[in-house]
Amino acid sequence: MSRYFAPGNAAEAAELLRTTPGARVVAGGTDLVVAARGGKHPLPEVLVALHRVPELARVRETEAGIILGALTTHTWVERSGLVRSRWSALADAAAMIGSPATRSTGTIGGNLMNASPAMDLGSPLLVLDATVELRRTGGTRALTVAELLAGPGRTTAAPDELLSSVRIPAPVPGTGSAYIRLEHRRAMEIAIVGAAAALRFDSRGEIVAARLALTAAAPVCLRVPAAEAGLLGRRLDAEALAAAGRAAVAAVRPISDVRASADYRRAMTAVVVARALTLAARRAAAGSSVPGPDHPPTATGSVQ
Amino acid sequence: MTGTTSVLGQRFVRRDGPEKVTGEARYTADLAFTGLLHAKFVYAGRAHARIVAIDTTEAARMPGVHAVLTQADAPLVRYGMFVKDRTLFAHEVVRFEAEIVAAVAADTPERAAAAAAAVRVEYEDLPAVLDVDAALSPAAPVLHPDWLDYRTQDGVLRAPNDCGHMTSVKGDVDAGFAEAELQLTETYCSDMAHAVPIEPHAVVAQWQGEKVTIWTTSQVPFPARAGVAETLQIPQSNVRIVVPHLGGGFGGKCDFHFEAHVALLARATRRPVRLVFSRREEFLATDKVRHAARIELTTGVKRDGTITARRARLLLDSGAYCGDALFATEIGLMMVAGPYRVPNLYAEVHTVYTNRTPAGSVRAPGGPQTCWAVEQHTDELARLVGLDPLEFRRRNLVRAGDTGQTGQRFVSSSAQRCLDRAAELAGWPGTDLAEGEALGVAVGWWFSLSVPSGAYLKLNPDGTGTIITGAQENGSGSVMGLALLAAEELGMRPEAFSILYQDTDAGPFDIGSAGSQTTFNNGRAVMEAAREVREKLLALAAERLEIHQRDLELVDGSVRVKGAPTRSIPLAEIAAGAQLIGSGSGTPPPLPEHDLTGCGGRLGYSAFAAPSFFCHIARVRVDRETGVVSVPEVVAVHEFGRVLNPLGAQGQVEGGVIQSVGMALLEGSQYDGGHQLNPGLLGYKLVTAPDAPTVTVDFLDDAVDQGGPHGAKAVGEPPVVGTPAAIGNAIAAATGTRVRALPMNAERVWTALHRPSAGAVTAGGEA
Amino acid sequence: MRYPLNVTVNGLRASADVEPHRSLLSVLREEIGLTGPKEGCDDSECGACMVLLDGEPVNACSYLALQTDGRAVTTVEGVAPADGLHPIQRELLAAGGVQCGFCTPGIVMSAKALLDRNPDCDEDDVRHALAGNLCRCTGYQKIIAAVLRAARQPEHGPADRP
Repeated sequence: MSRYFAPGNAAEAAELLRTTPGARVVAGGTDLVVAARGGKHPLPEVLVALHRVPELARVRETEAGIILGALTTHTWVERSGLVRSRWSALADAAAMIGSPATRSTGTIGGNLMNASPAMDLGSPLLVLDATVELRRTGGTRALTVAELLAGPGRTTAAPDELLSSVRIPAPVPGTGSAYIRLEHRRAMEIAIVGAAAALRFDSRGEIVAARLALTAAAPVCLRVPAAEAGLLGRRLDAEALAAAGRAAVAAVRPISDVRASADYRRAMTAVVVARALTLAARRAAAGSSVPGPDHPPTATGSVQ
Repeated sequence: MTGTTSVLGQRFVRRDGPEKVTGEARYTADLAFTGLLHAKFVYAGRAHARIVAIDTTEAARMPGVHAVLTQADAPLVRYGMFVKDRTLFAHEVVRFEAEIVAAVAADTPERAAAAAAAVRVEYEDLPAVLDVDAALSPAAPVLHPDWLDYRTQDGVLRAPNDCGHMTSVKGDVDAGFAEAELQLTETYCSDMAHAVPIEPHAVVAQWQGEKVTIWTTSQVPFPARAGVAETLQIPQSNVRIVVPHLGGGFGGKCDFHFEAHVALLARATRRPVRLVFSRREEFLATDKVRHAARIELTTGVKRDGTITARRARLLLDSGAYCGDALFATEIGLMMVAGPYRVPNLYAEVHTVYTNRTPAGSVRAPGGPQTCWAVEQHTDELARLVGLDPLEFRRRNLVRAGDTGQTGQRFVSSSAQRCLDRAAELAGWPGTDLAEGEALGVAVGWWFSLSVPSGAYLKLNPDGTGTIITGAQENGSGSVMGLALLAAEELGMRPEAFSILYQDTDAGPFDIGSAGSQTTFNNGRAVMEAAREVREKLLALAAERLEIHQRDLELVDGSVRVKGAPTRSIPLAEIAAGAQLIGSGSGTPPPLPEHDLTGCGGRLGYSAFAAPSFFCHIARVRVDRETGVVSVPEVVAVHEFGRVLNPLGAQGQVEGGVIQSVGMALLEGSQYDGGHQLNPGLLGYKLVTAPDAPTVTVDFLDDAVDQGGPHGAKAVGEPPVVGTPAAIGNAIAAATGTRVRALPMNAERVWTALHRPSAGAVTAGGEA
Repeated sequence: MRYPLNVTVNGLRASADVEPHRSLLSVLREEIGLTGPKEGCDDSECGACMVLLDGEPVNACSYLALQTDGRAVTTVEGVAPADGLHPIQRELLAAGGVQCGFCTPGIVMSAKALLDRNPDCDEDDVRHALAGNLCRCTGYQKIIAAVLRAARQPEHGPADRP
């Protein structure tokens, strides 16, 4: 007999997770309910709906960065001038998830906890050094996004832990970031492969900080330390792009599925890496901001 | 001419529009019934197997379950439009993954699904045949071991695993090749694709006494009625098919199938029973997909570009059953020469059984794949002789007086004018193109299906009218547009007509919304019915006005004396006191003269009646690094004879072009073993609003009236035929590489560019 | 187990007892009697079920009904003023943006969500606002033109808000 709870605060939600075996949280339902309807897996027997927990929807901006409550919607992220200018890669990714309906109901917490290897927010959060706060009755702990993601559909959160917020540190001035996704259509897509990059240059145009991460190229979204290290101290020329691409290709473990073959994904990894780095560099040079339009710059036919 | 202003060619708001924009329009799944039960099918879930045993006892005992039926509960009738090769439920053998093995009726959809899952079926797997090559190999298992015992329509030629083959022969093909200075052989392959109406199939059946009423999402109510009567072995008069608003069909709701299963469940339970497909079932079980095809072409040309001969072989994957697949085969055969002068031709087509989802008549069956292959081949021929693609086509396109591949004489041909107009609109050869962009062209032809149809028309006492037709509105607006033709005859406004349609107890027989035939045939029937009413009106008015009939005209809802507009009687005044009823059937125009000497098999489309022509030019942008193709614009120039409803015709062309952009770049079923891998709208991708190109539409006239109402020709299907071909040629122009598989998705384009050995170009060469 | 649901639909209070797994779409169609929102797919891909939840577009097929408790839902039935049609509806008719009509309710709702927020929209905005609404008949062109024309009219304000 399935049960449903709609707690009014986070403590109550955490307590329900602790005391009710089989309980799972649902936020917008854009992963959980859709997967159930698509026949992937049935809905959990006990649903703890979070939409009435205002503290999980709160966004706080501090000197140190921004804290996005787990219920922050993709629409909010996409429309936030602040996120677009400071954490552009995240805004890029939020703007290309699903449809307007998916974005207005889907949340950052849900996207992370669903832990799809193809999640668009994964690689941007990795390059932006985001951490998550997990809350359980009696305490909280912080994890990096890399520590959270354990495998396809799996996280390191315990069954009684609730993802309460995502903290993204303020970027060092001069940092530019970008997310590029390869897709078959301009909307309603899952990444074939995606890459996020964050770069900062010194006054001579040499890279002093580099982050690179990939979506849909391995069982989890992952950073590519070898590529990052190789970029330091050099200009972002064709050779640097190619080297980063080679390092990324060496790091990926793509699958063959209905969207693409592993061979194609591997080859495309180098392409999206180069394009993400190039756009991040352009933004770094321009003082870090996503260009005007509401729509992601990374659509089919415009990935270049 | 009956009025001062013609309503034909004017903008017109369809009568069913307001209820559709407000959400009031009821579709089959929206209907409510007292005591309704819910149906669920049990599917095979495997490609090919012998049924050892079916145990329904546990399912039948479950709470809320009213019936569990199998073939043992249905008459053992083999049915099929061309080849009677299937039964309602699997009989002894299952031949594709979504073959229906059993059906459940229960009081909730959840209980029906639970009971369906509890039906135990024991199978013995048989070797599966998964593509046309495997099926035609002499060692292949015969998928229908009793095929020789199946009854067929006249003229169907078959072989083991081939449910219909035919040949089209013209001239002397060996002599033609001897005359050629160059020749080119190529092979093109297309994936299976789906119709994908946004409304999934739904059926409700309810018995009262001996009679069953079936509300269904059918494009073809009368054939569906015949199918139910045949498989349940009851008279057609005991079957009433009603189609509420239909949420699109595109051929996927043609033929007949699930109505009978639901009727059986309703009869067994004596309750109304409803079936509603999920989207997954829509992909797996609809069994009316666009054929996967392999198309082999060899053409001989002279150095000046003159085509001297062609050999063609088409293999269409029909899946597990024949269904209405021979439409696709027959039409595909008629597309291999294209709208070109091919003096010497030998073409053969085969409709091949495999253990896949059965194929059928998706919008323009056999058209887009064949046109795509032929038009890629045409561009390659142009390249071979060093001519611009337009110039090569100009030298070979059919003209008035030429004969087509079956000897059909063209009384007119707008092919050349379509080409010239499209080139002008598209700015060929594209001097202002951006980097990575190119144009591609395709020319083609299509037919107007000439079949019987019927309509009644009556005037109401207030001077409005009602049309009662057997024709089926699938959403295109063709039935709504019948009001224009009635209004034109009677000097009325089209808005003054209500239309009673898609009810087999009301309208005369009609083949349904298939073959783009509604306006072409039912339009003539409505005009004939309206003329009968008109004669009656004029006779009555002549008496009242004491003037000869020939001095009267029907204008603005009244009968008036020519030249004396003040002497008039409103129609309402006459209609209130008289029975003004008309009926019409409209004589189908005959096929053009043709010559089938040497041809073989059932050639259902031995000539194209009232042929129409088109030219599409696509502008594409190719990202060479990723293979991603976008299509900013498609120019579509069609000659449809006279365009009666321009807004409706534009809608058909725009919608058809976008559908076929999907076919060109995105849409195709992938298989693993006998299982579709992408039976959903995320894996099987339709074009979305952000992807859709701008479609520039233009219409040309035909100076010759070829028998349609006011010279109109078929509109619905031709728009999907040419765009994949134009896009393919544009990709080749942009990349210098040809993609020989449809859809030409990003990975295939990238593979052609970066792994050329994987999809080697079959080179042309000296003859 | 069933739970009480109290939701405002098109300005009217509605209540039902529903199971946790029930979708908003099934409750709207089967309990509340509104068949304007349609079921066209299994997984939020087609948009035929689009409704507004507190003014934002939502795929009703994949939203848990109980999560709308205490909130306001607008369906296509709640869009037109009592004396006529909403400009989006009127322009869809005039432009020929309606063929089979099955996607139309969802299109109307996505378009309304856009115009309520951004009446100053351009063609690209309209295309992206409709990204989650598949139409197989029209090719979108006439729908996009209709929404742009509706946006240019002063009266497209929300009809469902008191």
